Amino acid sequence: MSLVDATAATRVAIPVKNRRTRVIAVIMGLFGVFTVFVFGFGSTSGAHSSFTFNPINLANAPWRVGSLTVVTRWTDVVLGVVMVALATEMFLRRPRRGVMARFGFVAVLFLLGLLFWAARTPGPSPTSSVNITAILVGSSAAAMVLIFGSLSGVMCERSGVVNIAIEGQFIGGAFLGSMIASTTHDFFFAALGGLFVGGLIGLVLAFLSLRYRSDQIIVGVVLVTMLSSLSSYLNLQVFTPFPNFNTGILAPNLPIPLLSKIPILGPVFFNQSGFFYVMIVLVAVVSFALFKTRYGLHVRAVGEHPRAAATVGISVIRVRYINVVLGGAIAGLGGVAFMATQGQFQVGYTSGYGYIALAALIFGRWRPSGAVVASIIFGLSVYLSYNLVTYNVPISLYILQMFPYLITIAVVAGLIGRVRAPAADGQPYLRD
Amino acid sequence: MSETSPARPSLWVRYTSSSPLVVTFFALVLGLAFGALVIVTTTPAVLDAWRAIFHGWNGLPHALNLTFNNVGAAYRSMFTGSVVDPQGLWHSITTGNGWTNTLTPISETLTYATPLVIASIGVGIAFQTGLFNIGANGQAVTGGIAGAVVGSMLHMPEIVHLPLTLLAGIAGGMICGAVPGVLKAYTGAHEVIVTLMFNYVTYAFLLFMVLSTPFQQPGQQNDIGRTMDHSAQLAPLFGTSSGLRVSYGVFVAAAVVVFAWWLLNRSSLGFDFRVTGANPSAARASGINARSVIVVVFLISGGLAGLAGVVQVASTTHYVDGGFLIGNAGIGFTAITVALLGRNRPMGIVWSALLFAALGVGGRNMQATTGIPLDLATVIQSAIVLMVATPVLVKEIFRLRSAETTTVQLATTGWGS
Repeated sequence: MSLVDATAATRVAIPVKNRRTRVIAVIMGLFGVFTVFVFGFGSTSGAHSSFTFNPINLANAPWRVGSLTVVTRWTDVVLGVVMVALATEMFLRRPRRGVMARFGFVAVLFLLGLLFWAARTPGPSPTSSVNITAILVGSSAAAMVLIFGSLSGVMCERSGVVNIAIEGQFIGGAFLGSMIASTTHDFFFAALGGLFVGGLIGLVLAFLSLRYRSDQIIVGVVLVTMLSSLSSYLNLQVFTPFPNFNTGILAPNLPIPLLSKIPILGPVFFNQSGFFYVMIVLVAVVSFALFKTRYGLHVRAVGEHPRAAATVGISVIRVRYINVVLGGAIAGLGGVAFMATQGQFQVGYTSGYGYIALAALIFGRWRPSGAVVASIIFGLSVYLSYNLVTYNVPISLYILQMFPYLITIAVVAGLIGRVRAPAADGQPYLRD
Repeated sequence: MSETSPARPSLWVRYTSSSPLVVTFFALVLGLAFGALVIVTTTPAVLDAWRAIFHGWNGLPHALNLTFNNVGAAYRSMFTGSVVDPQGLWHSITTGNGWTNTLTPISETLTYATPLVIASIGVGIAFQTGLFNIGANGQAVTGGIAGAVVGSMLHMPEIVHLPLTLLAGIAGGMICGAVPGVLKAYTGAHEVIVTLMFNYVTYAFLLFMVLSTPFQQPGQQNDIGRTMDHSAQLAPLFGTSSGLRVSYGVFVAAAVVVFAWWLLNRSSLGFDFRVTGANPSAARASGINARSVIVVVFLISGGLAGLAGVVQVASTTHYVDGGFLIGNAGIGFTAITVALLGRNRPMGIVWSALLFAALGVGGRNMQATTGIPLDLATVIQSAIVLMVATPVLVKEIFRLRSAETTTVQLATTGWGS
């Protein structure tokens, strides 16, 4: 709501929507043109890019997939032309649905084009080929954390509470998770700890914003400040003198028999830590609970029109409490999952993933499935922004690291107004 | 009629009722209590003593004693490190020597508070308009970079150089603040996410700047930028030989306070801001252009944050490095809590900035003397602000008489549509 509130939005809805679609189309087109001219014609005509698909650790992979070699220039030109074509189609037709799907597809094509270009062989890259499987496995770690975060956001915002504190729940989960995992060497207990601390932060948020109707965003932001300073404090006070509490133990991979042997898909989906499988189950459970159960209907009613929900006998406050605490617990678990893939807890190492998860939630239109797709795209860009350096890309590491955040901004700016938040999102509920 | 209209309450009732000042005071008490709790639960010696309270007749007294000693030492060092050490003061008064040592804590607090006031006023103006500028830290970083670039790479006489440096800082912050403002005004993108993302973008930009050729300190491999010319620095108020760092920046901060007071209370633009913040639909109905208000507020807010960044550079280190305003120590983050504590009013912000600066500076002394990490200061600050943002809770805890509900007035809810 705030300054551009619902009444104004409905009054000028149609022209804004159409113009917004065209702006997004133009951005997509620019991506395409960039791909054609910088990636395509920017590489020498004889250059070719090759890709391998075998996992780095070949020990438990009985299969090998051949490598794929393509001519860099023409592949990138084709990719760029496809992007431009999609953009043109969208600019002219102004479709009502599927705008974000197209945008996401173009983003993936762009990243692909970037990879083709970065890995061209008579080029600066020290490695002669790009291992696609390794990239997918690497970005699945970031995507997993973002999915946990955006699921937490789905839980909270569908019931009408904005959970900005996801970042804080990540920090709390990562801290306690590292402590428990390092001492017990058991990630089950670490996960329990993450659920607990995340749920606790969710409870504080719910308590202050539901019982006392404080501003949810302010409470969330201050909670993040508190958690990040508390973790920094405890890091010096506990982890520095007792390094045994923070050994940087990583969660072991649990390969699923048979399925993990599938080429490419196996290592990405079926040879992951337990957190990954839990995440997949959670996505299914949250989707089902939200859209197919009675309780889910209550939640959505509370998030859209709390007064009407209260009229038919739903306890608005209770539903919100439950969802915010559960959502917080999910984010706390995400923090543990982050720690379990990154190792040793460090101050500030969640680097804003909690906020990117919120953007993924918006990108995914407040649906678990959409949030998953968005998180995968964000995860890929986060991973590439840190790892493109290994290809000697002529762009500063620090400029590359801006990209996930800039993409987040672009997504939020391009999509708000096109997508609709739950109507009561962020509004305090007065019981009378 | 006389039965329905309440009599004017007595002085005692008024002071035990939940006036904003009283709530703030009790929030402080709660914040410090929370900090004490954190100290106690994370100091091994104290925990051991509590574990051993049943081990002997003096178990409990010993534990209590140790608790009070630890907490007392922490808060005492915070006070002596940020305000004044009473023993040193007495020594200076009686002997007339050592004034530098005696005055250093208060000078440090003022040095820290100077940019904090400026940035917090920027955040407060945005809050009064119902906008949440959480990216003040990023704007301060770009302001600091811009100021350091102008201050170190251009050379001119002081009368031009210093104002130009400060203006560059304002411009740097404005550029960084304009983007969220324009996006909010024209696309509805929520300023919280955009400004937050800009904090990370500007941090990457800072590292890029201090590590690449034209701006990196010559002959350095580390992440450190060029040093500002003397003509671009804010000189110490009592001269370089005084050893006190408090600089002419305090006058910049004072000017900003006056400007903000005038803007919010005396100008028609500020009236538009406050109307927009208090009631967006009323603002629209009365013909206020919401879009231009949003953009202008973000320009002012970002510009002030940028000014804070350049004042910070020009009065303390005189260069920016990779650790500039990083993490919880970033004045832009503290500015959010300061603005909330000061209820977004210029004078309130001055007092709360002094308080939080004292906590921060005192925290440094606490870390040096007792080994308790400095971050405790931020923990206490955020606990205080959580309480201030929830006045009803404070009232309930201390059983304050209920006056009219005092909430921090805000309209930063939801994602917009």
